Amino acid sequence: MLDFTSTPIILTLMLGAVGVIIPVISAVRKEKNDSLYGGIAFAALIAAIGFVIYQIISKNVTPGAIFSKGVLANDTFGSFFAIAMLIVGIMTTVGSFNFMKGRANPAVYYSLIVLASIGMVLIAYSTDLVMLFVAWELMSIPTYVLAGYLKKDPSSNEAAIKYFLFGALSSGIIIWGISLAYGLTGSTNIEQVISGFSHLSPDMMPLAILAVGMFIAGFGFKIGLVPFHMWLPDTYEGAPPTISALLAAGTKKAGFAAALRVIIMGAVALNLNWSLALAIIAIITMTFGNLAAIKQKNLSRMLAYSSIGHAGYILIGLSIAPFSAIGIAASLFHILNHAVMKAAAFIAVAGIVTTLSISHIDKLRGLGKRMPITSLGLVISLLALAGVPPLNGFWSKLMLFGSAINAGATVSWAPYLAVAGVLNSALSLAYYGWIIRKMYFEEGESEKRVKEPKSIIAVMIFSIIFMVGIGVYPDPFIQFAKSAVPTLAGLATVH
Amino acid sequence: MTNGLIDFVLVSVALLAIGIYGLSVKRNAIRMLFGVEMIINSANLNLVAFARFIPNSQGQTLALFSIAIAAAEVAVGLALVIVAYRMYKNIDIEDFRSLKG
Repeated sequence: MLDFTSTPIILTLMLGAVGVIIPVISAVRKEKNDSLYGGIAFAALIAAIGFVIYQIISKNVTPGAIFSKGVLANDTFGSFFAIAMLIVGIMTTVGSFNFMKGRANPAVYYSLIVLASIGMVLIAYSTDLVMLFVAWELMSIPTYVLAGYLKKDPSSNEAAIKYFLFGALSSGIIIWGISLAYGLTGSTNIEQVISGFSHLSPDMMPLAILAVGMFIAGFGFKIGLVPFHMWLPDTYEGAPPTISALLAAGTKKAGFAAALRVIIMGAVALNLNWSLALAIIAIITMTFGNLAAIKQKNLSRMLAYSSIGHAGYILIGLSIAPFSAIGIAASLFHILNHAVMKAAAFIAVAGIVTTLSISHIDKLRGLGKRMPITSLGLVISLLALAGVPPLNGFWSKLMLFGSAINAGATVSWAPYLAVAGVLNSALSLAYYGWIIRKMYFEEGESEKRVKEPKSIIAVMIFSIIFMVGIGVYPDPFIQFAKSAVPTLAGLATVH
Repeated sequence: MTNGLIDFVLVSVALLAIGIYGLSVKRNAIRMLFGVEMIINSANLNLVAFARFIPNSQGQTLALFSIAIAAAEVAVGLALVIVAYRMYKNIDIEDFRSLKG
């Protein structure tokens, strides 16, 4: 039975109603007032995040990550991701105010952002594979449309088609994995699938491993793990930059939420020695992403490769989860941090593209004088991505690499993950530093200061406060991330 | 009703293989869409076949959900292909190569 007072249900009703009503309002109204729809979406998302925070403060959520018999669990794990996703949704909405000025169908655009946000939030809360799949599609289908939103622009359309084909393939693989899990255990509830898997007869084991492998592949497409990353740079480059922010910071993290709910559990129950495989994928992913980012000339494309690299960092925490208690907490903390950093960077790119029509890195010369606040936001987010202290990225990377070294006590290969991570961070500082040098230390063609859009300034100021604030005082967020994991890690000892 | 579970699963694996073949070899966007559809429908067949041998209805429920979702997904995909056709007068994936690097 559904509990109508639980956080996910109220969020769904609230945001779902707004998402449906916005296009209806635009159909009914005669006069053209583009900013209204963005305002409604913004208000709804703010109300949603306020509600989630209120529920956490008033302790109406179950601590840790629980696995209930129902389809949705009202737990801290879900709330943690809900906050990260809604922050990304809000940043995307506000960052789009300026981008959408004068473009067609703003009502549909904002409504799709709200619907995709519900999908991302529900993925984190779902404890049943049926719910997980429906939420996954609720997140994916709006983003296919949004990626191709610039109908007259060939590259936006190309981005959307590539994204759609790979996205549809990934949902096909996920539902195949679900069907195998259901056939083996007779249930779609994740908790029951886990207990079913742990009592499986040995001759059925290969099928269970195949099911988990299909989950890894299916979620890996959205996350951008290396064998499954081919669509990602093209899509992030071609899609409108505001939507790239939603994809890189939102849907990618939702993929991790789904992976944490499903893959870890399945693998723990199967008692597989899967950590090494994930660790190898992590190292390949981060090295590939950072190496490919170096030679990019397009800012969005460079950020896309850098987000592949960060998927590799986050995977460190997942791969050492059985050996280190803080591994998953570190991953969660980095997921939150990376969501804000990457969204800030892409929104800054959106601001630069809409005011100056620049996307080529060489043309960024002298940008520090022309758009000071946007440039400052971009620089701080790039430094945070590289992991420079005292910004938030430093702490989460420290936690990730530290947990890898701790896990070295049990498995000998774990410290190599930390070594690879540190080397990659140094490598990434090279190409981030290249952009910063272009922006501040090279003479541009023009020194004239241009008027920066107010909405972009608002997003930049918020994200600078967030990144520096967590960097200076990371403790509450680390505690929050830690409080979201206990049951996840504890399950390893149960079986 | 002599068909066993293994027959259904074999058909469904064959459909999956055809779908993946279509996606990886064909370069026509509509054919690739067919490939995606076959993968999703083979999973549906799987779910319904398993549900016949398992005493609960979750598999049937998920199959229903997945059919509805696949319809929505294909609607979006066809819309994207139509926009591409208006722009390129062609739906060959090989021609969509403005993004590289």
